Amino acid sequence: MNKGMNNSTWLIRREFWENRAIWMIPAAFGGLLLLAALFTQVSIPRLTSQQSEQAAPAFLVVVGAMFYLVMALYSAWYLLDCLHTDRKDRSILFWKSLPVSDANSVLCKLLVGMIIVPLVYFAAADATALIAAFILSIRARASIGSSLWNGNVWWQIQVLWMYVIVTTAVWYLPVAGWLMLLSAWAKRAVILWAILPPLLLNIFERLFFGTHMVSQIIGRRLTALPSVSFNGLGANYRWTQEGGVVDNAGSSAPSVWHLINPSGFFSSAETWIGAAVGIALIVLAIQLRMRRSEI
Amino acid sequence: MAALIEARDLTKKYGAHVALDRANLNIEAGRIVGLIGPNGAGKTSALRAILGLTNYEGHLTVLGREPFRDRTELMNECCFIADVAVLPSWLRVDQAIDFVAGVHPRFRRDRAVAFLAKTQVTGKRRMRELSKGMKTQVHLALTMAIDAKLLVLDEPTLGLDILARRAFYDALVNDYMDETRTILITTHQVEEVENLLTDIIFIDKGRIVMDTSLEDVATRFAAVAVTADRLDAARAEKPFYERHILGKVVLYFENADLGKLGSLGEIHTPSVSDLFVAKLSGAAA
Repeated sequence: MNKGMNNSTWLIRREFWENRAIWMIPAAFGGLLLLAALFTQVSIPRLTSQQSEQAAPAFLVVVGAMFYLVMALYSAWYLLDCLHTDRKDRSILFWKSLPVSDANSVLCKLLVGMIIVPLVYFAAADATALIAAFILSIRARASIGSSLWNGNVWWQIQVLWMYVIVTTAVWYLPVAGWLMLLSAWAKRAVILWAILPPLLLNIFERLFFGTHMVSQIIGRRLTALPSVSFNGLGANYRWTQEGGVVDNAGSSAPSVWHLINPSGFFSSAETWIGAAVGIALIVLAIQLRMRRSEI
Repeated sequence: MAALIEARDLTKKYGAHVALDRANLNIEAGRIVGLIGPNGAGKTSALRAILGLTNYEGHLTVLGREPFRDRTELMNECCFIADVAVLPSWLRVDQAIDFVAGVHPRFRRDRAVAFLAKTQVTGKRRMRELSKGMKTQVHLALTMAIDAKLLVLDEPTLGLDILARRAFYDALVNDYMDETRTILITTHQVEEVENLLTDIIFIDKGRIVMDTSLEDVATRFAAVAVTADRLDAARAEKPFYERHILGKVVLYFENADLGKLGSLGEIHTPSVSDLFVAKLSGAAA
């Protein structure tokens, strides 16, 4: 194993030692959902097997989406914090006394925030959904639990998650780069520094030019991922009342492949312009990391 | 022997403030060098530059490398303790050992474990649970288990009580130092280190004021205590500093005629701390 790879595995392990929240938050969140599944009032109508086949993926998607939201908040916080705490407690002087390059450290933290944390949440979402479906199908005598194993719904959800993790990482790279840059730069109040400059720029633009370019660009970057990475349900598919997806003939949508739009996402200029901006910000963060030590 | 650290016109500016002003350094292998200066003299800036923690102007090589550009490679052969309090509070002792063993090719785990076995520190403890003295022991264990050519210590005993300070320096001299190693140390507490140093460098306002080995101090510098009636005769020999104590005046000379001084009063070799005060106050006068 070469030195970079070896160091990276240690750096990633280090992040898990330091940030036990990486696995504790999804574990606790999953636990809460399971408690809810166990003790809340549920009245699931008796479903036909076709209906439950439609409800099962919707159930998995909803559980997944809840984990995704928590994950997004945690990842943002992690990236904003990761190059700042060790400057604050001065332990950066210990880490820098070891033969590990700053680029290696910064990139490992990026990898943890953008890929590894989502993978942990994905695993937690999977486990929670399975156990919850099992609990619910026993309590409600519905067959959601068993229909999770019907067909290839399960595998489709796994593919969907992987797709979401990859597209999220690429799409939000400029956001991650911005957070890490501030984390490497700010002496204190990293959250304020992350929010204030874009906000002020926006106000400044409105006052002096009367335009909304900044807020449009930022707003689109923060919210447009679903519309870029997924096909609209529009013409050929629609959601059913139970939350499943059916085609116009009323039979359930055959697979997740109709939903995701990788060719559209990866051929969009918007995707790659954003990624380029993200890479530039991360290069800057590495440069700052080389020059700044303790606060 | 080739110089281990060589600096020429080393300059570091923070905006308008000049922390290091064309400093020249030449440190050879096998020495224990004290870099001594008042607060804000540029000690820490010099160490930062030597360790590759900051960029700088001028020429600087450490172990034949440019520190800022090659910090990662440099840290294979050089280690530093910048104040002992910098181990992160969440880190467990066994994790610290695992991590350093994982990333450092010259780390000898058995040595670190053997060193810690002599202490009260156990593997599962987190740094936040340890006293400052125990943290020092952990940091020392990690550092001394690395086969490094250069060890840099920046105010290593800041905030430690006198027992822990003494233990730190004893371990340094007895367990670590040998002829293949070089130690560069900065401290305020000159008295504490002057017995272990082989060389001293005084730094003030970003400039190197004096750079000498301790063997040379005895031949180069002399202090003479004279009574008031001989003061003018003594002043004719051009002392660089005067100090008034109990009705006598102690005059400090550099490269003076010892025979002549002997006739004026009692000659002794100034201690490092006296010399430090004399040199820096003299420069200011």
